[in-house]
Amino acid sequence: MNIEILWQDFLGILPVVPQTIALAVIIFLLSILIGTVMALIQEYNVPILIQIVVLFKLFLRGTPLIVFIFIMYYSLPGIVNFFTNLLSLSYNANNISPMIILIVAVSLTVSSFQAETIRGSFLSVSHGQIEAARSLGYTPFQAFTRIITPQALVEALPEFGSAFLVVMKAISLGFMITVVDIFAQARLIASSNSYYIEAFVVAALMYWGIAVIVVKLTNKFESRLLSRS
Amino acid sequence: MLNIQNLKLSFGEKEVLKGVDLNVNKGDVVTFIGPSGTGKTTILKCINYLVEPHEGQMQIGDINIDFKNINKKETLKLRRNTAMVFQQFNLFKNKTVLENVMDAQIAVQKKSKKEAYDKSIDLLGKVGLLDKEKDYPSKLSGGQQQRVSIARALAVEPDIILFDEPTSSLDPELVDEVLKVIERVAKTGVTILLVTHEMDFARKISNKVVFMEKGKVVEEGPPQQIFENSQNERTKKFLRKFYAKTNEMVEAK
Repeated sequence: MNIEILWQDFLGILPVVPQTIALAVIIFLLSILIGTVMALIQEYNVPILIQIVVLFKLFLRGTPLIVFIFIMYYSLPGIVNFFTNLLSLSYNANNISPMIILIVAVSLTVSSFQAETIRGSFLSVSHGQIEAARSLGYTPFQAFTRIITPQALVEALPEFGSAFLVVMKAISLGFMITVVDIFAQARLIASSNSYYIEAFVVAALMYWGIAVIVVKLTNKFESRLLSRS
Repeated sequence: MLNIQNLKLSFGEKEVLKGVDLNVNKGDVVTFIGPSGTGKTTILKCINYLVEPHEGQMQIGDINIDFKNINKKETLKLRRNTAMVFQQFNLFKNKTVLENVMDAQIAVQKKSKKEAYDKSIDLLGKVGLLDKEKDYPSKLSGGQQQRVSIARALAVEPDIILFDEPTSSLDPELVDEVLKVIERVAKTGVTILLVTHEMDFARKISNKVVFMEKGKVVEEGPPQQIFENSQNERTKKFLRKFYAKTNEMVEAK
C-alpha cells in the first residue's frame, strides 16, 4: 500500500464528507418523521390509512433498496409531473435532482423500519402513567408530548443510533444514480489513478470514524437521559 | 355533591357493575369494602372516566353527565374536577418528584411556574418529602412514591380525590406512613372516595362505608353500623371471614 496515495486520497475524499453526513442527517430525520406518522396511524388504528401503511411497510421491507432506488429514479419524475399537471403548476420534474430521488427512496425505506422501533418505544411507556395523566385532565396531546414522548425517546435512542449508520451506508447506493458520497468519490479517485485498495481503505476508515463518533454520542446522550429516570 | 344513578358496565359477557347508585356529600370520606373483583375499583375509574360505563347518570358539582352520550369536553371537565391515586402510584418516570407535582398545574390549570412551584413545595412539605424534590421516582421507596402521588393529586385542587387501594402494593412496614398522609388529607375537608382492604383504617377515617359484592352495593352506612351492627348476612359473613384471616396471621406471628 502506498502511504502517499493514502494521504492524497484522504484529501480527495474529505470534501464530500460534510455533504454525505448532511444527506444522512436529512434522510435520518425524515425517516423518523415518516416512521412516527406510520406508528401513530397503526397505534390509533386509523381506518384506510392503516391498510395503506401495512401494505407499504411490507413492500418496502421486502424490496432491496437498490431496486427501490431505481424504481424511484424512473418513476418519481412522472409521478411529480402528474400532480403538478393536476394542480396546473409549471414545474418540470424531468430534471429533478438525483439527490432528491435518493432522499425520497432511502427515507421511505428506512422509515418502514423506524416505524417498528418507534411503535415499540411508545408501547414501552406504562399504561398506568397514561391513565394518571388522563385522570389529572391532560389532553391526549399533552400526555403525548409531556409524558410519553420523552420516555419513548430514551427507549428508541440506541436503535436510532444504528439506524443513522444504516442510512449513512445506504447512501453509497446513490452512486448508481450519480449522487456522489464518500464511496462514490473513492471510486472516482481510484479509477482515475488506479490505486483501488488505497481509495477504498480510506473510504472504509472514514465510515468507521463517523460510526465511532455516532456511537459515542448516542451512548453519552443515553446515559444522560437514563440518569434521569 | 356527587350523585350516581344506575351505573352499569360490562366487559363482554361479564357484568361488572349492575346498576350502582351512590350519594356523596361534600367533605364525606366514603370507603368501599368487599371481596376482590366486585367492581370497587371500577366505580372509581368510572368517576373520572378511565373506564367507560355503558349506562348511568352522574352529577359532580355543576357537571351533569349521561354516560350514554358523554362528549370530550365533559370528559375533560370531569377529570379536571377529580384526581386519582393509584395502587401502582403511576408517577411520571421522566420527571422529578417536584415536576410530578408541578406538571399538571402548568399543563392543565395554566398556572405560572412560580405559582405551581410554591404550591408544590408546600404540598411536598405536607407529605414529608421536601428533601426528595430533585429525585426521580425510581429512587424512592413505594411509600414515598405513593406520598408523591397524593401530593400530585392534591396539587390540582380536585373536588374529589379517588384513592384506589393506595396501600395494597406496599411493603407492610410502609403502609402506615401512607395511611397517616391520607388521614391528614381527610381532615382538610376534601371529599374522598377510598377503596381499601385496611378495615381498621376504613373504620377510623370514613363517615360512610359501602359494602359491595358482585357488582352491586349490598349495604351502606356509617362505620359503626357496618362493622358492629350490620343486619345484613353477606356483610357479616365477609367481615367474619376477613377478621378470621387477620387473627390467623396475628397468631402465626
